[in-house]
Amino acid sequence: MNCDLARLILPEYLSESLSETQELAFASHLAECESCRAETERLGSLWRGLALLPGTMPEPSATVRDRFYESLAAYRHGMESAPKHGFKEKLAALWPRQPAWQMGISFALLVLGVGAGYAIRPEKQHEVQPDVAQLRGEVSNMRQMVALSLMQQQSAGERLRGVSWAYRVESSDTEVLSALLSTVNSDQSINVRIAAVDALHAFGASPVTRTAIVQSIPKQTSPLVQIALIELLVDLKVTDAATELKALSSDEKIDVSVRERAKWALGKLLQ
Amino acid sequence: MNATDNAVMAQVSGGEVAKMAVLFERHHRALFRYFVSMNRNRELSEDLVQDVFFRMLRYRASYDPKQSFTAWMYQIARNANVDQAQKRRGEVVGIDEFDDRRPEPASEAPGPEEITARSQDVALLKRALDRLSSDKREILVLSRFQGMKYDELASVLGCEVGTVKVRVYRAMRALEQAYLTISGEKTA
Repeated sequence: MNCDLARLILPEYLSESLSETQELAFASHLAECESCRAETERLGSLWRGLALLPGTMPEPSATVRDRFYESLAAYRHGMESAPKHGFKEKLAALWPRQPAWQMGISFALLVLGVGAGYAIRPEKQHEVQPDVAQLRGEVSNMRQMVALSLMQQQSAGERLRGVSWAYRVESSDTEVLSALLSTVNSDQSINVRIAAVDALHAFGASPVTRTAIVQSIPKQTSPLVQIALIELLVDLKVTDAATELKALSSDEKIDVSVRERAKWALGKLLQ
Repeated sequence: MNATDNAVMAQVSGGEVAKMAVLFERHHRALFRYFVSMNRNRELSEDLVQDVFFRMLRYRASYDPKQSFTAWMYQIARNANVDQAQKRRGEVVGIDEFDDRRPEPASEAPGPEEITARSQDVALLKRALDRLSSDKREILVLSRFQGMKYDELASVLGCEVGTVKVRVYRAMRALEQAYLTISGEKTA
């Protein structure tokens, strides 16, 4: 063993991860090389000293634990409130790929639908009781108020809760949509921004949402938020974002993982 | 016997997100130490710990149970640190919030002189570590504080195992230089 090789395996010797053969070879080199012996002794002393440093470092404060459990609860709540896609995907898998079959089934369903609609037509449109309609309106307003006020809070945990409340409002609620978009673009916490991107799924039918997502990507500073927005474009099948995605995928100034995701999204949307 | 980190994370990945609490209890202190070593800012490090656990929840589906959980977690931690650094670029980062001269716990009841001497050595070493460039400091913190193996380090740092060995050696040499410089400043 020469000195170069000995230096290369010195860290492994210090961390006691050499094989028995390597250790013997290293020890026999040290026996005949004074310079490597001295270096091993000096660096070994520092290596052992490093192990003492964590004991002198501070512990995280108790609020770290409280905040984690609060965020975990908010996240679980958000998951439970989020729309489930499982049934939709299963149904889509049943749809035949042959156009002739597709047309046949479509026509049969149309005839069935018209027939069934005619058979069960009511004599008079059933009217919603006014007091029930009023109650529904009040509940909807209350949800909107909770979501909007929580999204304005100082604490990131509270704002996360606000975002999870956004799942409970109507997807046509423009005020909540506007608050979510503002959160995506300017919230200080990356966690809150990503959660708001997720919540935008429910508002995906609105052209305002689709345009805002495309415009937001280049403005973001975090690659994670950019990737989440790109994935949202794919989920919402925003095919008219192809030009912007193409520009993103070739922009050298943008993080490489974002560029790769943009390429992937382009492939998905142009399929 | 407790479930391994990989097994617990696989459950989280499968939808049992409440199990993330197990991983939090096991790793949040070590993560905090990693961040504090990198940025010397307690409040920021606490925020980053939250950020890492949130990102692991958000990207749980991307976890591959064949991959080391620790390596995956520190990949996320490094990204969180980079994002945060980009956000704070231009701001003055608070340094040395902590008391470097706190003596470490004594293992075999040494005498008062030995405690003082050892505490001074540890304080010097800590200052030497702080003087290293962030990539050198990071590799020593990950290998020595977090006890990561070289193959895990290679996965976290995105390089070959051979490169990790060379980088650890260079970082140790740089630490020695910094330690000697500080010792010289002290005695001068």
